[in-house]
Amino acid sequence: MALSKSVSPDGKVVTIRVHGRFDFSTHQEFRDAYAGMSPAQRYVVDLAGTEYLDSAACGMLLVFRDSVGGNQADISIVNAAPEIRKTLSMLQFHKLFKIA
Amino acid sequence: MSGAAVPPPDRLSSVSGGLHAAQDTGALTVLIVDERPEDRAALSHLVTAQGHRAVATAAGPAALQAFLREHPDLVLLDAASDAERTAEYLRVLSGDGFVPVVLLMPAAALAAPVDAGAWDRLGKPVQPEVLRAKLEGFARLRRLLHTMRLQRDALARHNQWLRREYQVAEAVFAEVMHSEALRSPHIRCLVSPQAVFNGDLVLAAHRPSGELQLMVGDFTGHGLSAAIGAIPVADIFHGMTAKGFPIPEIVAEINQKLLRILPRGLFLAAALVELDAASNTLSVWNGGMPDVLVTGGEREPVRARVASHSFPLGVVETAQLDCTTRTLQIGKGSRILLYTDGLTEAENGAGERFGAARLEACLGRGDDCLPTFERILSDLQDFRGPREQADDLTLVEVVADPAVNRHHTAAAATEAVQPRAAAAWRAAFSFGVDSLRAFDPVPSLMHFLLDAQRLHAHKQRIYMVLAELFTNAVEHGLLGLDSAIKAGPDGFSAYYREKERRLREATTGEIRVELEHAACATGGRLVIRVEDSGPGFDFAAALRMAEESHGANGRYFGRGIAAVRDLCAELSYHGRGNRAEAVYLWHSAQPGS
Repeated sequence: MALSKSVSPDGKVVTIRVHGRFDFSTHQEFRDAYAGMSPAQRYVVDLAGTEYLDSAACGMLLVFRDSVGGNQADISIVNAAPEIRKTLSMLQFHKLFKIA
Repeated sequence: MSGAAVPPPDRLSSVSGGLHAAQDTGALTVLIVDERPEDRAALSHLVTAQGHRAVATAAGPAALQAFLREHPDLVLLDAASDAERTAEYLRVLSGDGFVPVVLLMPAAALAAPVDAGAWDRLGKPVQPEVLRAKLEGFARLRRLLHTMRLQRDALARHNQWLRREYQVAEAVFAEVMHSEALRSPHIRCLVSPQAVFNGDLVLAAHRPSGELQLMVGDFTGHGLSAAIGAIPVADIFHGMTAKGFPIPEIVAEINQKLLRILPRGLFLAAALVELDAASNTLSVWNGGMPDVLVTGGEREPVRARVASHSFPLGVVETAQLDCTTRTLQIGKGSRILLYTDGLTEAENGAGERFGAARLEACLGRGDDCLPTFERILSDLQDFRGPREQADDLTLVEVVADPAVNRHHTAAAATEAVQPRAAAAWRAAFSFGVDSLRAFDPVPSLMHFLLDAQRLHAHKQRIYMVLAELFTNAVEHGLLGLDSAIKAGPDGFSAYYREKERRLREATTGEIRVELEHAACATGGRLVIRVEDSGPGFDFAAALRMAEESHGANGRYFGRGIAAVRDLCAELSYHGRGNRAEAVYLWHSAQPGS
């Protein structure tokens, strides 16, 4: 299982953790993780266990953002390794997501 | 798109279903080969009684003839009648088809090894139940085989169809993606086949005024989806560059297009550079690509870099996209390096990545005579070791040589367009400061001119004239900029920063452009008038100064105006020096020299 999901007790925060490689092979699982979910107020994508992220994964993050409110979406990307953080800022994703 | 003989892939699955219904009766044509008429009669009776068709014959030539005539599904061959040879013949005759031969032999002989040509054996006298079971078994096997054959043939046809589609797609792709300008001896470019498949693209073309524009991009996703997106990008890039559009407008246009056609989640990280090797000015737009690197020259370390400062293309609305370029002054002979992340993400056996640090370390190494480009590839190979691995790398190096500007190979293709018969027309435009802040109208005016009179062969020269007069009107007439700023060490950058600032702060002002065309004895006469609302200048004095210094380094008549004077039949200033008028003559028989 490359992905795990948890919802805070009050249902307001949904956390998705990606383990290992976050790339196109994770596509279906990642979609399933947020599909059909009752809308939360805040989403957290935890990349602590992610060793590698490719551009397809970045595309998936954009699709995710769109599907949970677009510009109104509140998504934090946390615990990204320095390399991954660099990729995200190269793509200017810090303007679309909270990268902490 | 292709011929109708080959089914499209969605019809493939229906083939086996159709066959099954047709073969459902399971009746076989059985050829009985036996020397003894009474045995033939008995076997024929048994076979017919079980619902199959029986054809009986003696061995030898008669058997072979019957085989060819009746196309049996199965042969019952008596072992006594020269069986081995007959079986071998039948096997050869059946060729690619599956026609099992069952040997009939005395029950006692069944323990002996099977002959090469035979599929199975039956003991004589043949028991009806045993024969029934055998025939049913073979009928099933035959149906199975038949289905398999049909599927195999359908697959082969489908495969052939796909191959043809690929060939067409490849030809279209190659045509659109082909950048003639990449052949310049000052550009080194490596795009591995794997990288193309992964959505990397490299495009280059010259603006009519001679500057090189080059784009390196990297689509998210792989294969077909990435390749499809590359086609409109190449189209826009080549088309707009040829018309003289600057990078910010090309960036905006591509972004607009990709937003419209790409599914969400698919985007294009890209870097676009414009190199004006005449003024050693490099403009860079970087949206999501690794740093664009500039070195001082061959085997020199990194001098400057432009990191990603914008979203990739196809992510956000164009209004939110930072389309502006970063401008740097670079030395003659500088190397500009662009690459996609496939290069730095190449891994060695231990799962380590090549990385930007190793790449940049290659650049300053003067310890052998390898040029920078080869140095990088060689270090990468050493790093990865001998492992078999698909290359996924795109690396481009441009040398800032003045000759880069002069490669007009791409323009050659349009030279063949013949001008329209000279007509009389006049068009006038006016642009307020607001519109000047928003866009550069010169490419659009060029577009209009080319459409109206098809002066493609004169594109370069007319562009020079129009662009020079227009730029002068904006920079000197409207904004009062002094060309002397350009003389400083960081001259061009300082000049353009100042231009940006003044343009931003300007509240009033207007540029009027009038294009007037008419036929003349030898061809056509194009008059370009550019008027600004500024205070003008003492053109008579400037003209005298220019005459005295032979047009060189004059304060008002710089290199640009000297060129305009060379290109035009007349160049004059009117009013208070705020209205320039150039007369360009073209000859109907004039080749595009």
